[in-house]
Amino acid sequence: MSEPTNQAQLLVALQDLEDMISEAENPDQRAVLEEMGFPVQGIDELHAAQKNLEEQIQPGVLGKYRRLRKRTGKAVMPVVGGACTGCFTNVPHVFTSSVNKGKVIACETCGRILYWP
Amino acid sequence: MTVDELVQHLSAERFVSDFSAASKEEALEKLTEAVVAGSNMSDHATILQMLRNREQLGSTALSQGVAFPHGRSLAVTKLTLLVARSKAGVDFESEDGKSTHLFFVILAPPQDTGNYYLQALGKIAELVRKSEVCNGLMEAEDFDALATVLKEAG
Repeated sequence: MSEPTNQAQLLVALQDLEDMISEAENPDQRAVLEEMGFPVQGIDELHAAQKNLEEQIQPGVLGKYRRLRKRTGKAVMPVVGGACTGCFTNVPHVFTSSVNKGKVIACETCGRILYWP
Repeated sequence: MTVDELVQHLSAERFVSDFSAASKEEALEKLTEAVVAGSNMSDHATILQMLRNREQLGSTALSQGVAFPHGRSLAVTKLTLLVARSKAGVDFESEDGKSTHLFFVILAPPQDTGNYYLQALGKIAELVRKSEVCNGLMEAEDFDALATVLKEAG
């Protein structure tokens, strides 16, 4: 349980991390955290962690993620109630079967990478 | 967020009254395990990774011996809180170097657009600034008593 291992988990970890970096670099969000007493000082460490994650992701998968990030903002979206939360289209059950667990599967409608924990 | 709304997100199932860990890493692992147990979340590794990253940004252990491991992850389905209490204390690398005795884990999905997790974080951080509240939380006999301490403080 200690670290994400499969490609889908690594992409989720990368998106979580990049969102965290964006928040930390946003002056308003940063001010909110600092006002509550939480120091924001390790952004360089987060960038290093981002690089480390990127190195574990297959180049083709990372390229797809980057293109989606640029085009849609969120490259990876969770499947909730059988639907992609990016476009709210139902996802065929076979996509999210246990056989595909950890694989990088894209939504047929919006192209985003699906995640079902 | 009011104290009553905050308490609604807490539960006896997510209250660890006798928490212990030998290190910050072990504490994060055990807290992740506890918060995921009995929930519909299953991706321990991704949640743990997010909490580790958050600690890299800056320790979430504040003064008064209270820490707030928190953040957003796609592996989280809804705003989820856990309270853990350690009589012996844990070295959670707080700014003041003192042991941490109370942990409030706050997890939210990225689509928490109302920033409820920040509201929850802010409310708890405000409440535990008072040492008598921390003492009350440490001495509470069970979850109901702990909830009462929070409600009376708010």
